[in-house]
Amino acid sequence: MIDFILRKKDVVVYFILLFLSLSFIFNSNYFHKSKVILFSNSITNYTNEVFENIDWYFELKKINSSLVEENLILKNQLEKFIEKKSIDSLKNVAFQYQNAKVISNNLSSFKNNLIINKGTKHGLKNEMGVISSTGIVGIIDRTSKNYSSVMSVLNTESKINAKVKRTSHFGTLEWNGLSNRDLLLNDIPETADIKIGDSIITGGMSLIFPEGINIGVISEIMKQEKFNDTIMKFNINNQVKIANIEYRENYLNIEVKLHTDMNNLNNVYVIESLNKDEFENIKK
Amino acid sequence: MINIYLLICKRFIFLVLIQVLIFNKFDFFGIYDPYICLVFILTFPVKLSKISFMVIAFAFGLTIDLFSNSLGLNTAACLTVAFFRSYIMNFVFGGFFDPRGLKLIKNYISDSSFSQKFLYLTSVILIHHFILFSLEAFSLKYISTIIYKTLITALLSGIFCTTLIYIMIENEK
Repeated sequence: MIDFILRKKDVVVYFILLFLSLSFIFNSNYFHKSKVILFSNSITNYTNEVFENIDWYFELKKINSSLVEENLILKNQLEKFIEKKSIDSLKNVAFQYQNAKVISNNLSSFKNNLIINKGTKHGLKNEMGVISSTGIVGIIDRTSKNYSSVMSVLNTESKINAKVKRTSHFGTLEWNGLSNRDLLLNDIPETADIKIGDSIITGGMSLIFPEGINIGVISEIMKQEKFNDTIMKFNINNQVKIANIEYRENYLNIEVKLHTDMNNLNNVYVIESLNKDEFENIKK
Repeated sequence: MINIYLLICKRFIFLVLIQVLIFNKFDFFGIYDPYICLVFILTFPVKLSKISFMVIAFAFGLTIDLFSNSLGLNTAACLTVAFFRSYIMNFVFGGFFDPRGLKLIKNYISDSSFSQKFLYLTSVILIHHFILFSLEAFSLKYISTIIYKTLITALLSGIFCTTLIYIMIENEK
């Protein structure tokens, strides 16, 4: 036995190390809590932040103009409320916003994450929504003292409650891993009267996002051809397209174009729902 | 011998930094990043024993993982490529391959035909990317996406790795 191990020692070492790395992957939640990982993560996050700050300097012009644009929209909205004179700013506030900066942004994997520069120290918790000035970005899935990791909408595991603005049909938003702009909207019945160009907003069912935040517009509605595999063929405007989604009968397969440009994220807002505990209690 | 470890150390730091700070943010066509860190494995000295090669590749992958927030994925991929590299070299270079490591990687590149170089580069890159993406998605539902993504990313990585290796060889002269 010992002779065998000595003869095949590189294979043995390979499998030991492979086992170690696989255990890193499949227990990543547990390992992220361990002290060593926390310590090294704070170092890597710090270096990322330093280099992102240099990047920021060159993009200041773009950031400035996007902030001015957002201000304009908000000012216009505020004008409507001032005329009504019925809004009490202290009453019925269900959501609170905090700003944060993106310090590292990952797009190339199937399970993309963002790191933002605020953590439990600033009151951030798991399952808080994150939006940018143009639309949704993701949901916080892990927090440390100074940083939080956000599961981006471009993550095959993320499922976001959404609805079609014009017809109020609810659906679930998912990503198929192929493009940085296209998402899939599932669970919308075939009978729904939906057209290309309809806008998609958040549904407000889970209290992670308030209702009515922009997500994107419908770019394609796919009808299934006669195939029924994991790789599906679809017929769109007489062009056959292959997509990698699960087809379900009596439901539409809708492709949604995101408003948010995930490649250029700088300032984001974290949404805290103040009624969440109450909501969770009554759900039990 | 100390010189070799110094060289490895230099390449380790240089390639981790260039991968993490520059190439992870490339995002070609929106979502494709080239993996230039594979130059470390492609040009790792043959002289060192396989076990030390695997341990160093493990540490290399882990460092990249810590920076890119994907614990364990690059580690497993780099480790596997390190394990299979001697078999690949044996297959590609045939009798020319010398496991005792008297020849340098430089000699392999200058004394082999184009198809040999191409086969060595593509097999290492394809194995790495395929393992990386399939561990990441970890579901048969995405198998077509995984293959599609592997091919496109391999093309990008191939271009950048070849360029960097040639720059390194030219610099040594």
